[in-house]
Amino acid sequence: MDNPLVKINPMTKRLVTFPVLMSGLFIFLMMAFGVIMLLNQANMIQINMGMFYQLMTIHGTGMIGFAALGAAGIMWYFLSQYVELNRRVFQINLILFLLGVVSVLVGIFKYDFAGGWTFLYPLPAMSGGMWAEAGATLYLGGMLLIGCGFLLLFLEVSRAIISKYGSFAQSLGWPHIFGLRKEEDAPPPTVVASTMVSIVNITALIAGAAILVMSLINLYNPSFTIDPLLAKNLIYAFGHIFANSIIYMGVILVYEMLPRYTGRPWKSYKIFLIAWTLSTIFTIIIYPHHLLMDFVMPNWMLIIGQVLSYMNGLPVLIVTAYGALMIVYRSGIKWDVTSSFIMLSMFGWVIGVIPAIIDATIIVNQVMHNTQWVPGHFHLYMGIGATAMIIGFMFYLTKFDANRTDQEIDRASFWSFIIGILGLSASFLYSGQISTPRRWAEHVPEWIAPNIIGVIFGTIATLAMLVFVFRFIVISHKIGKSETSFDESTRKIS
Amino acid sequence: MAQPAWMITLNVQQPAWIITLLVSSLVFIVFWFILKNSKDREEDYDGIKKKGFKIRNVYFVILFSVLLGATFYTITDLPYDRPPEFVNATEVEVEALQFGWDFSQEEFEVGEKYAFHVTSQDVNHGIGFYDEDMMLLTQTQAMPDYTNTVYVEFEEPGTYQILCLEYCGAAHHLMIHEIEVK
Ligand code: HEM
Ligand SMILES: [Cu+2]
Ligand SMILES: [Cu+2]
Repeated sequence: MDNPLVKINPMTKRLVTFPVLMSGLFIFLMMAFGVIMLLNQANMIQINMGMFYQLMTIHGTGMIGFAALGAAGIMWYFLSQYVELNRRVFQINLILFLLGVVSVLVGIFKYDFAGGWTFLYPLPAMSGGMWAEAGATLYLGGMLLIGCGFLLLFLEVSRAIISKYGSFAQSLGWPHIFGLRKEEDAPPPTVVASTMVSIVNITALIAGAAILVMSLINLYNPSFTIDPLLAKNLIYAFGHIFANSIIYMGVILVYEMLPRYTGRPWKSYKIFLIAWTLSTIFTIIIYPHHLLMDFVMPNWMLIIGQVLSYMNGLPVLIVTAYGALMIVYRSGIKWDVTSSFIMLSMFGWVIGVIPAIIDATIIVNQVMHNTQWVPGHFHLYMGIGATAMIIGFMFYLTKFDANRTDQEIDRASFWSFIIGILGLSASFLYSGQISTPRRWAEHVPEWIAPNIIGVIFGTIATLAMLVFVFRFIVISHKIGKSETSFDESTRKIS
Repeated sequence: MAQPAWMITLNVQQPAWIITLLVSSLVFIVFWFILKNSKDREEDYDGIKKKGFKIRNVYFVILFSVLLGATFYTITDLPYDRPPEFVNATEVEVEALQFGWDFSQEEFEVGEKYAFHVTSQDVNHGIGFYDEDMMLLTQTQAMPDYTNTVYVEFEEPGTYQILCLEYCGAAHHLMIHEIEVK
């Protein structure tokens, strides 16, 4: 293996530490809110229904937002090895993000906004009496700030990549796909993934900003209306792409670290590059699978939504997860907490894809859409896919950049986390299977049993998360200050 | 032949759940097998890759065929167009509003064919038809400015519930409506 060292500037290490800490901390908090929602659905506590939907709104918004923040930290950290990134932009994004979060929190908790993280037009302006313009303005405005911050970040990533590689076509490795250049010279996986994420997220954020601005205008000038079907398309294009981009940023940790843990190379090769180009296209155009129950949509879009959602599973199933299995097979890898989380994220991604593919089938969607089946799918995919990457990165930073050693409690909480999220997701899927609708503050007695199971497993996962965050916070101040311990410790020793 | 999607006897929830469990277990076994075999070191990674890529070709062909087969099997009878049997269906108008349902008729007959034209006065809602066992039979979105039509034939008499399936505000979960099928 040519270069087993991660050459990262200590400034970059310190730069990503705070957002990753915030990400872990808020994911923990949002999990606790999740348990409260479940307690209410299980009829074990009574919160008022407005509060339930406020918690639901902050849980969804916060999870997606903070997971994206953490995953962007992963991308920034590793990408800085290959291209010149301007750290100012990262800081500006962080500031806009935090301002946006404050605005969202005030909108929800002080002004009672509870329009859901999908803020489906025209709900923000027509709350049926629960919240007024102020709440909606703060929420939508906050989202706009967060979106603008991320837009700047991805524009900077694009700029840096293009100035080094010439164009996105080059950094996606098209010349190598078409045999114009040798496979050996293909851009590294981190650059390929960052290119993909920049393309899809710039698209997503523009769509998101457009609908946010239009919704804001509509709040104050109701005669300015938007076609509700167009609004829905914009929102799901934004929401689907942005939420999915999290795992495509997080997977950079897998590409960077598994080679170092196993002493085996993971380079871009033809099929790998083709898979990433396909993922770029699919991620942008499969969002209509959220609109399968909008019969007025052009039918060809919905059929494409199903067919390409199926195909969208292939890159991860054939290339990334398969590659991860191949690289660790008989590698003599040392399973510490970081490498365990990396492998877990691959497992979570793959099993999270299964219920998603099933639900993307139009005739299945007809009885599964907006049931608990959907949270079942994405709590697997996000909970032990994307979140595992972020937690893995937290353990990576404290281990290699701050000399942490694994403790018994880390391993114990690792297993608790897996069991917790698996149990929670299974309880959601089971609920979906018995037709429990999603986003219902109160459940009828027939639906309650799985909620009680969910409370138990959700609590286990939340406690595990608390341990991860605590361990990170205690050690994080050392990151980037001590000499990096990486060089010696993970140069592959057999 | 797949059962036509608009027929309300369709139960796909259970197979979906079972397939998910089975395939997840399979994935689990594969990961477990690899992890069990990860501790010893084989220096010849090129050899492993060569074998791995061969297996992958087979795996790819199988996976692709399964997905393709599933596509053809499931895409033939979509709920979007009016099925020929429904040409003379009884037309029913439904309007959703925060937070209730307005039906042009409340009583229905077993074996009759109905076309429900669903729209909304205010925000997005979703109309979900639940049977007496509280199983979801079919649904469509209720949108402002648009009308979605869902085709239903009730096979059993009883009290059916209409539940809102799109989050529409603070009383979303109170948007329940009963209809009678005789
Ligand atoms: C202990 C862990 C967790 C618990 C107990 C939990 C619980 C819940 C509950 C009860 C809901 C509402 C379900 C419904 O529609 O009735 C929900 C929705 C959601 N959760 Fe979680 N969750 C957890 C972890 C996560 C994680 C790790 C993520 C993502 C990183 C996440 C993202 C979401 C999203 C995006 C929604 C959708 C919100 C909406 O429908 O507007 N959750 N969760
Ligand atoms: Cu999606
Ligand atoms: Cu509703």
